[in-house]
Amino acid sequence: MEQIKITINGKECVCNDGEYILKVAKDNGIEIPNLCDHDSVAAFGACGICAVEIIDNGKGQAFPKLMRACATKAQNGYVVSIDSDRVLRSRKIALELLMSDHEGDCLGPCKLNCPAGTDVQKYLKQISEGNYHGAVETIKKVIPIPASIGRVCPHPCEQNCRRRLVDEPLSIAFLKAYAADKDLEGDTFRPVAASSSGKKVAVVGGGPAGLTAAYYLTIAGHNVTVYDAMPKMGGMLRYGIPAYRLPKDVLDKEIAEIKALGVTFKNNCKLGTDITLDELKTDNDAVIVAVGAWKSMQMRVEGEQLDGVLGGIEFLRDISSGDGEKPDLKGMNIAVCGGGNTAMDACRSAVRCGADNVYVIYRRTRSEMPAEDIEIEEAIEEGVDFKFLTNPSEIIGENGKVKQIKLQVMELGEPDESGRRSPVAVEGKFEYLDVDMVIMAIGQTIDAVGLDSIEKTKKGTVSANAATFATSDEKVFAVGDATNRGASIAIEAIGEARKCADVVDSFLEGDITPFREKFVSKRNDSDVDLSDKPKLERVKMPVRPAEERKHDFDAVNLGFDDEQKVMQEAKRCLECGCHDYDDCKLIRYADMVNVSPSRFSGKKNINDVERKLRVIERNPNKCVLCGLCVRICDDVAKQGILGYVGRGFSTVIKPEFNNDETISVCANCRKCFDACPTGALKLIEY
Amino acid sequence: MKITVGQGSCGIAAGAAKVLTKLESFFASEKIKVGITGCIGMCWLEPIVDVTDDNNVLHRYVKVSEDVAAKIAQAVVSKDFSVASEYEISEDDNSFLTQQTRVALRNCGLIDPENINEYINIGGYSALKKVVSSMSQNDVINEIKVSGLAGRGGAGFPTWFKWNAAKQSAGDEKYLICNADEGDPGAFMDRAVIESDPHSLIEGMLIGAYAIGAKEAVVYVRAEYPLAIIRLNKAIEQARAMGFVGNNILGSSFSCDFRIKAGAGAFVCGEETALIESLEGSRGMPRLKPPFPAQEGYWHKPSNINNVETFANVAWIIENGGQAFSAMGTEDSKGTKVFALTGKVKRGGLVEIPMGKTLREVIFDIGGGIKNDMQFKAVQMGGPSGGCIPAELLDTVIDYKKLGATGAIMGSGGMVVMDETTCMVGMAKFFLDFTAKESCGKCVHCRIGTKRMQEILTRIVEGEGKEGDIELLEELCEAIKDGALCGLGQTAPNPVLTTIKYFRNEYEAHISQKKCPAKECSNLVIYEIDKDKCVGCTLCSKKCPAKAISGEVKKAHSIDADVCIRCGQCVNVCRFGAISKK
Repeated sequence: MEQIKITINGKECVCNDGEYILKVAKDNGIEIPNLCDHDSVAAFGACGICAVEIIDNGKGQAFPKLMRACATKAQNGYVVSIDSDRVLRSRKIALELLMSDHEGDCLGPCKLNCPAGTDVQKYLKQISEGNYHGAVETIKKVIPIPASIGRVCPHPCEQNCRRRLVDEPLSIAFLKAYAADKDLEGDTFRPVAASSSGKKVAVVGGGPAGLTAAYYLTIAGHNVTVYDAMPKMGGMLRYGIPAYRLPKDVLDKEIAEIKALGVTFKNNCKLGTDITLDELKTDNDAVIVAVGAWKSMQMRVEGEQLDGVLGGIEFLRDISSGDGEKPDLKGMNIAVCGGGNTAMDACRSAVRCGADNVYVIYRRTRSEMPAEDIEIEEAIEEGVDFKFLTNPSEIIGENGKVKQIKLQVMELGEPDESGRRSPVAVEGKFEYLDVDMVIMAIGQTIDAVGLDSIEKTKKGTVSANAATFATSDEKVFAVGDATNRGASIAIEAIGEARKCADVVDSFLEGDITPFREKFVSKRNDSDVDLSDKPKLERVKMPVRPAEERKHDFDAVNLGFDDEQKVMQEAKRCLECGCHDYDDCKLIRYADMVNVSPSRFSGKKNINDVERKLRVIERNPNKCVLCGLCVRICDDVAKQGILGYVGRGFSTVIKPEFNNDETISVCANCRKCFDACPTGALKLIEY
Repeated sequence: MKITVGQGSCGIAAGAAKVLTKLESFFASEKIKVGITGCIGMCWLEPIVDVTDDNNVLHRYVKVSEDVAAKIAQAVVSKDFSVASEYEISEDDNSFLTQQTRVALRNCGLIDPENINEYINIGGYSALKKVVSSMSQNDVINEIKVSGLAGRGGAGFPTWFKWNAAKQSAGDEKYLICNADEGDPGAFMDRAVIESDPHSLIEGMLIGAYAIGAKEAVVYVRAEYPLAIIRLNKAIEQARAMGFVGNNILGSSFSCDFRIKAGAGAFVCGEETALIESLEGSRGMPRLKPPFPAQEGYWHKPSNINNVETFANVAWIIENGGQAFSAMGTEDSKGTKVFALTGKVKRGGLVEIPMGKTLREVIFDIGGGIKNDMQFKAVQMGGPSGGCIPAELLDTVIDYKKLGATGAIMGSGGMVVMDETTCMVGMAKFFLDFTAKESCGKCVHCRIGTKRMQEILTRIVEGEGKEGDIELLEELCEAIKDGALCGLGQTAPNPVLTTIKYFRNEYEAHISQKKCPAKECSNLVIYEIDKDKCVGCTLCSKKCPAKAISGEVKKAHSIDADVCIRCGQCVNVCRFGAISKK
């Protein structure tokens, strides 16, 4: 056959005369997006996303129309553009239209709600198979300290777990901790770091954010040193979270893993005191600021300067810093102001230090409390006295020491911006509590010593770009509680740091690539039919009785002890995320062109998922009607089982005539499944 | 004396079959035979009875009821035609026909479509005789080339070129196919030809089959045309019996069999490759082109597909010469074109005129202008693939290029006239409702794109339109034109694009002011009672299905706009013209 030359996107390609452009491109390593093309069947031209522009037909003329590369034969001298503005516009709109009619979950709601984007569905599957090492490998793609996080995370994953609509969410966090503990017992998963890049990175702050950034940059081959003001690494996980929630030996083991990977730790080294940002900049190719938010916020009430008034953060740090020596609060009455997790940590710690009476002062009611419900529950069990609908109005002292706290009585008014009903003072109504200590746990803020040269937000946090984590200094990046909106949960900091590590890696390579959220298809909970799912009880975490645990700082949770139960729990997973996400051409292209299908949102062509074929489940709602299954069944498998039914928008592929006899000839060859470009076809066990 | 009653589907629907029976009963004893013809194309005058008296004078009676039939019978028997003269067609109405030039429709309404002899008596099949006895394939193709005949199905592609391509394609097995899947809303040209003059079609197809070397001819006709199918079958059988169809036609070496395939009613099967799929027994979905049917068509053999009207011209061209045909029309478009004139026009029906006349001549001179003396607003040409042409372009010449330049198309001949009460957004929505349903579902742009356009148009007419919707529509239109696989999808945006082009202000009024300037969109109008005109007869309040009208007897009534469902019944029943849309 005669050989000809064509040019695709500037690349000269030699091919047989009359070869389709799509094939020529593929043979020359150029990908032209397409959904309905397949080597085993003739060109069909349904999806239209392979449309290209022929800017020269070899005779100096352009084609007036876009041409489908799958069905246009190359002729000598063709000059083809596969990414001109016109081509991209057309491809994007085709994919937007497809996505506007696509009903499926690319990812599970658990993963979507995890700030670190942990592949929950995957590791739950691994746990259900007893593959803890594999599960940890999965988790450690984004979280370097799963045993610790599994214990302390308020698990946004579980909040979104779709099984909550059937019975209760899966116990995702504890399963994570279980797997990580198991893995730590034996041959622990440890990734292999890339060969050295010769670049140096300084991370300031050894909390969850700093450790995470250090971990992933080390894996990427960079030489990372973490500087921390405290004697040991761990940040708030060590000095904020009490040991009864996160035993320090667990944290130690995981931090040791990070160190073992090759990260250098420098403790007792405070920025601005022991080392300056300028020095770090001089000695390193990049600096990541992850100093956290270590100052408690003031309440701005009279009496705050009195002896016996202290911040929650400081209170917790003091307890954690004393080498196992807990402060003795025997005989004391203590008021903890605030309704968050720090307040819970503080009040429960105070109980453990022997205080007579511990009060929590909170200006709304229990249902508005930001703290985790289990924390509140356990605090009540341990004897904490909650004073809801009260707000400190004055701390009254005697001889410079706290004696009493005056509380303004509140009531709930109209909902505020956050949707919570805002507290309003009941005029003239006050209560008094005799207390010896007042702990302020109403929020925390950054201690910005040594960061004078970096631009701050109005709140006083470091201002960092949301997509690049870059600060006003191009060599300095910042993540975690110290940045932007301030303190949040550990997994938020870890998520940011994981992304920041990739950005800094690209920065060190010389071309900074901002983080971009991948486009995925999502379903609303209300659109999901779970009526056929049997109810399965959630496995309960055994805890020590309140009377026993309230006297020490040993772990409250005893941990799962029955492996069968653990595996069963993991099996409760509904596997909401699409089985084909990693291989789905549709979502890859949709993300590639950065679709925004919402502008075309409208009715979707919804049909029942069906299991008429023995080994294949067909989900028409993920089908793009490329017809590959129909054509391959006809032309390759020679069965002709599938066909198009209906017209227009409601067209759907079904077993021809929907007749059981027709379907029975299916030889289970799975050729349709192999060719399907999306997750519309799924293999089932039979 | 010759008496005929027009028996097209439209005439029958208007009562022509009853009139025929009535007349036959009158003349049963008189031994006067009452004949039938097809459709003359004057829809608004049906049923129509033609009486040619012994002096060869034609008396054409219109809107004939059974009572009028009695008068006609009286006139025939008494030979005193003055007794029924008041029922004869008026000079003015007759000008509908006298202003036309009929080639494709030359026999429609004049001969009995069920009797081949009537066709032969006026020279039918002589073109076929000429072709098989004295012309080569190239001679035929050349004659068609000289005529300048172009595809009348809408695309306007030169007929000779397709014939030549099919002829030149290798292989002995070739097919000639007639596309009679007339699907545009409001179009009925092809039906009229098949019902009224099937032999013109058959003869034209036989000549085409001869030219390309096809041994089999297939008419793909929609099953919704039962009468056309019956008459075409009869015609084929009669032609076969007389040696025009079958082996060794008229003693020549040319053989061609004929067959009808009734389509199941999918609009997309009017697209030639989808039609072929359907003919082969598959789902009607377009194929990729190339290869074109002339290379790989029916059963992947060279095939030629033309529309009914195209074939109906062929015998005339062979008889009268290609030059006679090309003498009519414009530089760019030769011959005549048939239109199905409908809508808000006084005289609707079949119009055949030489290319080059203006839209104004067709609508106002032949069509008699707008019904009820309303204002002309636009004419929609080409159905779902076509567009709207506004009043300021009424002097546009009928010609493929000139019409194309307006954004509309010549199309197959649908010509829907609209007056000031037609909402142009609603009109665009009507066509998108149609295409969104009729898309075959194969390509993304058409299947989902037309649906999204239809949804956007729906929200606009319902008063839920958003700023940016017009631009979004335009963006979708361009993308669908560029990306759809076949003609159905590629042209589906035309009704939207042309209405945006010429009536953008109507779109804007719907979106920004939530007003329908034509007062047609029910969500955007309010019904009001004029207190001065209302006499308090209570009729409207009794008829109102929503109980939205209240008022005391003999006192002015009022409508509660919140309760009103805008059905318009009150307007229809009010005898005092007191209720209007605002």
